[in-house]
Amino acid sequence: MTTTEELILQILEGLPVQVKRNRRIFISVPRNDLIKTVNILSNELNIQHLSTITARDTGSELEILYHFLLNGVVITIRTTCPKEDPTIDTIVDIFPGAVLYERELNDILGIVPKGHPDLKRLILPDDWVGGYPLRKDWKPPQESEE
Amino acid sequence: MEKVKLPIGPQHPALKEPENFTITLDGERVIDVDIRIGYTHRGIEKLMESRTYTQNLYLVERICGICSYAHVVNFTQNVEEVLGIQIPKRAEYIRTLFLELERLHSHFLWLGVAGHEIGFDTLFMYTWQDREIVQDLLEMISGNRVNYAMNTIGGVRRDLSEEHRKKVLEGMDYLEKRAGYYKEVAINEKTILARAENVGILKPKDALKLSAVGPTVRASGITVDIRRDDPYASYIETPFEVITTDTCDVLGRVVVRVLEIFESIKIIRYLMEHLPSGEIVVKVSRKVQDGESISHTEAPRGEDFHYLRSNGTEKPERYKVRTPTLANLPAVVEMLKGTYLADVPIIVAAIDPCMGCMDRVLLLKHGKEKPGEIIDGDRLRKYGIKWYAERGWKS
Repeated sequence: MTTTEELILQILEGLPVQVKRNRRIFISVPRNDLIKTVNILSNELNIQHLSTITARDTGSELEILYHFLLNGVVITIRTTCPKEDPTIDTIVDIFPGAVLYERELNDILGIVPKGHPDLKRLILPDDWVGGYPLRKDWKPPQESEE
Repeated sequence: MEKVKLPIGPQHPALKEPENFTITLDGERVIDVDIRIGYTHRGIEKLMESRTYTQNLYLVERICGICSYAHVVNFTQNVEEVLGIQIPKRAEYIRTLFLELERLHSHFLWLGVAGHEIGFDTLFMYTWQDREIVQDLLEMISGNRVNYAMNTIGGVRRDLSEEHRKKVLEGMDYLEKRAGYYKEVAINEKTILARAENVGILKPKDALKLSAVGPTVRASGITVDIRRDDPYASYIETPFEVITTDTCDVLGRVVVRVLEIFESIKIIRYLMEHLPSGEIVVKVSRKVQDGESISHTEAPRGEDFHYLRSNGTEKPERYKVRTPTLANLPAVVEMLKGTYLADVPIIVAAIDPCMGCMDRVLLLKHGKEKPGEIIDGDRLRKYGIKWYAERGWKS
């Protein structure tokens, strides 16, 4: 274990931390604690790099993973939101690099990052009405006959 | 003077690939930039959920036409991690060789594009000619210039012969000489200095704040390299330096890439001289148990990030890809603010953007009565000549 990993585990003590393998650390938090946990990473561990945000449809709810990088160690915060209320607090004010990743979540899975400064489409066409393609119950729109 | 909003793209002569920049101008000065992407979105992440791991190997490779191998290495590493298998050492060395050959051809290609963007087309012709040396080596070993199809889950698909090893080393000698020339050009040539020095400034604090990656951050003096920080393939035993400069401008990004060419040559020589003998692949199960894995690599453009969630079947439950260009877009907006309109193309080119992909074989549909037909490049060329001839054009 590197000194970075030791430091991370020391700072995160008391939180539900899971070490998957060397240089891969996961923390599971309820969505209400997301900002608090992100602030710990930013203020106490001085993490500045957000690699990306992954989200997926687990069937019953939406799971969101925030991947941070510190000296080669990937620290992932895992949280969930229900499909009936797919909202989550934005982290753009803490990590400005999240601005496009949060737009992507909104585009493909319909997750609304509350407080995002500029929430518009990122990858899907402007006139897209076909729903959220990465949801498991999504069906492709019918192709029109030529 | 009144502010003007100028749309550049998605189709524009200055762009190599479709993207849109809406630039707010005050005279010649750029005040604000809004970027719209997605014009080459192909829904690969969704498609992967309905393909088997073996099929996905070849789909992942087609995410990008330049750094295709970084993607396929990430994918195989993720699947291997969930399966809990260790690939043979010789396979790790061959993967590292391809990763570095890919960096070489990508950096030579980029140097040419950068030259072209500032009107220095001689540099473009020179570097693209030299890049052919790398392409020939890739083709010699794998059979392909791009999308090498080298990896399989559990190792690599083709071995390296003694003759291959010799040819690779000869190629490195030639490329080192040429890279020495480009180093001189990058530091001394007036055309480059005039267009690249103090242009497209990205301060270290902004590079960090915006989570930028690769040569873009290293040119702002930040020492980040996934190969060193989170070693994969055989990087842990391969000596190399992480190149940085502190000029924070386009010139710095040129210098970082040119010096990285030397490091790649150093790595390839080490690999060829210490290549272990033995197997190149281990047999694996087609089904992948429940699990998840994160793999990231230092692609030519920066950190390429992949996440796999498996569910015990032959197909992934969720696969996520974040390419380095997306990570660098917020930094581009920062670099463009306050610059002149004329510098926009080279500043955008300086992150080495890569938005689409290319393919040698096209699937053409002739309407409902005929099924899809595969046409090779030669037949497609003849078809094109005939098509234009029928419409009164002379070839």
